[in-house]
Amino acid sequence: MKQHPLCTDTEQCLDVMDLAVPPELKREWAALQTRRHFLGRTGKVLGWAAMASLFGDRALRGDAHAPANGLPGMQAGEQLKLPHFAPKAKRAIYLFMSGGPSQVDLLDYKPNLAALYDKDIPDSVRGAQQLTGMTAGQARFPVAPSHWAFKRYGQTGTWISDLLPYTARMVDDLAIIKSTNTEAINHEPAIMLMNTGNMNAGKPCLGSWLAYGLGSMNDNLPTFMVLQSKLNTKENNQPVSSRLWSSGFLSSEYAGVGLRSAGDPVLYLTDPGGVDREVRRNMLNAVNEINRQTFEELGDPETHARIAQYEMAYRMQTSVPELADLSKEPQSTWDLYGPEAKEPGTFAYNCLMARRMAERGVRFTQVYKRGWDMHDNVTGILPVICQETDRGCYALVTDLKQRGLLDDTLVVWAGEFGRTVYSQGGLTKDNYGRDHHPRCYTTWMTGGGVRTGITYGETDDYSYNVVKDPVTVRDFNATILHCLGIDHNKLTYKFQGLDQKLTGPVPASVVPGLLA
Amino acid sequence: MKLLEDVSASVDKLLPASRLTRVQWAASVVMSGSLLLLPFLVRLDGTPHADWQQFLGRFHPLIVHIPIGLLVLVPLLEIVGAFRPALREAAEFVLALAFISCMGALTLGFLLAYGSGDTGAGVTHHMWGGITLSISVLLCLLARPSWLLGNETRFYPATLAGMLLVLLWTAHQGGSLTHGNDYLTRYMPVSMKRWTLGNLHANTPGADTFYARHINSILDANCVACHGEGKVKGGLRMDSYELLMRGGKDGPVIVPGHPEQSPLLVRVTLPPDHKQFMPAEGRPPLKPEEITLLKAWVQQGASPTATTLKGIFIQENAKEAPLQPVGDYSSMMPEILRMESGQGAKLLPVSSKPSDGLILTTVDVAASFGDTQLAQFLKFAPFIVEAELGRTAVTNASFDTLSKFTHLRALHLEETAVTGDGLMKLAPLSQLTYLNLSGTKVTAAAVAPLDSMKSLRHVYLYNTPAQPATAADSVPQPIAKTAQ
Repeated sequence: MKQHPLCTDTEQCLDVMDLAVPPELKREWAALQTRRHFLGRTGKVLGWAAMASLFGDRALRGDAHAPANGLPGMQAGEQLKLPHFAPKAKRAIYLFMSGGPSQVDLLDYKPNLAALYDKDIPDSVRGAQQLTGMTAGQARFPVAPSHWAFKRYGQTGTWISDLLPYTARMVDDLAIIKSTNTEAINHEPAIMLMNTGNMNAGKPCLGSWLAYGLGSMNDNLPTFMVLQSKLNTKENNQPVSSRLWSSGFLSSEYAGVGLRSAGDPVLYLTDPGGVDREVRRNMLNAVNEINRQTFEELGDPETHARIAQYEMAYRMQTSVPELADLSKEPQSTWDLYGPEAKEPGTFAYNCLMARRMAERGVRFTQVYKRGWDMHDNVTGILPVICQETDRGCYALVTDLKQRGLLDDTLVVWAGEFGRTVYSQGGLTKDNYGRDHHPRCYTTWMTGGGVRTGITYGETDDYSYNVVKDPVTVRDFNATILHCLGIDHNKLTYKFQGLDQKLTGPVPASVVPGLLA
Repeated sequence: MKLLEDVSASVDKLLPASRLTRVQWAASVVMSGSLLLLPFLVRLDGTPHADWQQFLGRFHPLIVHIPIGLLVLVPLLEIVGAFRPALREAAEFVLALAFISCMGALTLGFLLAYGSGDTGAGVTHHMWGGITLSISVLLCLLARPSWLLGNETRFYPATLAGMLLVLLWTAHQGGSLTHGNDYLTRYMPVSMKRWTLGNLHANTPGADTFYARHINSILDANCVACHGEGKVKGGLRMDSYELLMRGGKDGPVIVPGHPEQSPLLVRVTLPPDHKQFMPAEGRPPLKPEEITLLKAWVQQGASPTATTLKGIFIQENAKEAPLQPVGDYSSMMPEILRMESGQGAKLLPVSSKPSDGLILTTVDVAASFGDTQLAQFLKFAPFIVEAELGRTAVTNASFDTLSKFTHLRALHLEETAVTGDGLMKLAPLSQLTYLNLSGTKVTAAAVAPLDSMKSLRHVYLYNTPAQPATAADSVPQPIAKTAQ
């Protein structure tokens, strides 16, 4: 028995941690103490107390750090008994096309549409679907056939738009999913749904679940990294925020670490003048010691996250410059990715970085490219953004393949929804706009665990509704987890009284047709 | 009557059973006789009959477990009855009950087969098994009293043992009818299969044809359980090309060139709740890609010899050898963790199943991880299925060590100083499927002997003298086929 640090009584009080109670109760007690510590440390001011109640849920959260039934030094995954089965892919790269790429113009070929130019799409096709405020008031919904021709490529003879000449060269390596569909119709909810399985912010994203469930393969770089591509101001760029790589209710050490698209990849990573590595190390040791004392006193698991992040940042001081140093890349790299890959922040550069991260044991890399939101001027903008992204995608897949990394790396290409077959605003022979379309959109996957050289799912003649093998966002995410050896129903985390999971409470299923 | 008396008398001599009346004996003989005659009186003709027969018949799989349970109980009661007489007394009652339920199950089974029009070797075997079983239970009942009195000590135990063997065989036949022939053996470990079932690939003649590679396996997985040797629903068998093309009672099921007129394709593409939908009885529908293949094959003539089909490209995702389980390393965990903290290199589990093995990961200490460090992991070698040694300081000397990693499936040596000298020391690694030598100095001559390693399917030589990094085309050249 010892005096509890926050106990103001003169009597000695019992320390729960020393009692023979189940470890879950101890963890719950430790979590509860964080609220007490919060109140204690802030001088019992009423205003702070009000705020504490706002954060009450966070203070009540479960605990990822208390030693589970494993041995000290075990990886997070080992303690959680993950992967559930031998995975085909050890890591994943997710190319996120924010804004909603137009499936009608890129990958979902509908030859019959040309004859239907400027005809209204039948009500029987459109049904009672909810439209966005941008087109709901339109008097007509005239069919806008794709401005570009499609040709067949590869041994599979897959139809690909002339806009994607590089993607066309790797069709035999892809699993193209034409029947992806979502429930959200606007960017923020749709992109949250794709990334976190829920339209509302606050849930952990795919990368955080992977970091939490599988742990790190590498001590010197974060488990989950995010690369944003530079904006092209000609495009309609929808915001992409750190909520998308947030760890939600999981410990913040599982959040994605973003690299900046210009200047230093990570700000303030270099030591300031007069501070050398040894001084930095000594300072960190001292800070960590203080943090450890705080943890012993209060048991707030977030303290561990803070210590881990300080240490990671210290190691990243050497690992990130090495990661970003492209001077040793051979000429063949530049021939493959194109000259713009030399310019930090371009999509091609980020694809190259994604390959370098895969080589260095980063578990999950997400590359964001904004600007796919084309409500008007599709013929003006779509070629630009395709030109920016097409070669990078091809180069990444080809490079992983030739280096033997595609065997155990999953690559995913997806946006948050598709675009309407009918024109938003005026339709001319030369130009048209397309609104958001959640009922069907096209995505692709390749690499470890994926059955390649296939097209999965079908849409109707208008690329409006899925007619065969629908793949919901839940199924899509469940399939990604499956490739990485995770049963999506078993990777759960207790929060707010629920066993939370990436695929949410609605039943989801792995899509067997997409698996090798 | 004279004849019956003669038979009865001779039976009496064989089985002196003082309590049995001749009437009982006669009834038993008559009953056995009619059981044996039943299949000849009411023939299983392969045509479905009245619905009520099927309705009742479908209780057969349920009811059949009652006699099974009771019959297994009888020898137990007899044995334990030697010590607790009350139980032996119960055995008689259980045996009688078993016989009654046997008759019930037999009736229902016969109704099921007759009503649903099931025929085939499996059905016939199961039926005769059931009849034999019922008769042997009857024999047991008759023989038991004289055994109890000690007049005849061997006949009853022998009949009982024989009855149990018949029971085992009949139950297995029934199980095969319900679950399919390979239900028991499908997940048998390969080594045991080889031992018990002999040559696994005996039944794949002409394995290069499209039919043998794709169509046959689709039918095997989805149809043959009811349309095969064991059970022949509707007179249709689909377990060989000839039988498939011959069709069933209602004529051919495949019209070459016309999938839309082929009953097979029509019925697998109906809505699943349709009465005619196949596979019937709630079995999972065919997968879309399976239907695509069937359709294309029928469309293009349903040929037994064609090797490829126009417009059908099947990525032959080369079959990986089945994962060989490694031993359980759990007990070595403390040692492994000590090693990791001392060394920096990690042994990560492939999955939560220890038998899936460990991955040797060196990414954090690559620069300082050399041949000596690798040798320190020899102790755990049997559990390591993948060694990530890319960008480490290992050299050709490591091949000696690696040759002892007997369960190694994947070996990463990219961008290391290995030159290929001694590469063939890896030859004994029979499970090695993946070898990455990208960015090393290996030459074409050094890697040529790798061809002899059968399991090795994925060899990467990018950016080596054996396969120099080639410049990508600066202008994309779509490999377009003519638009169709």
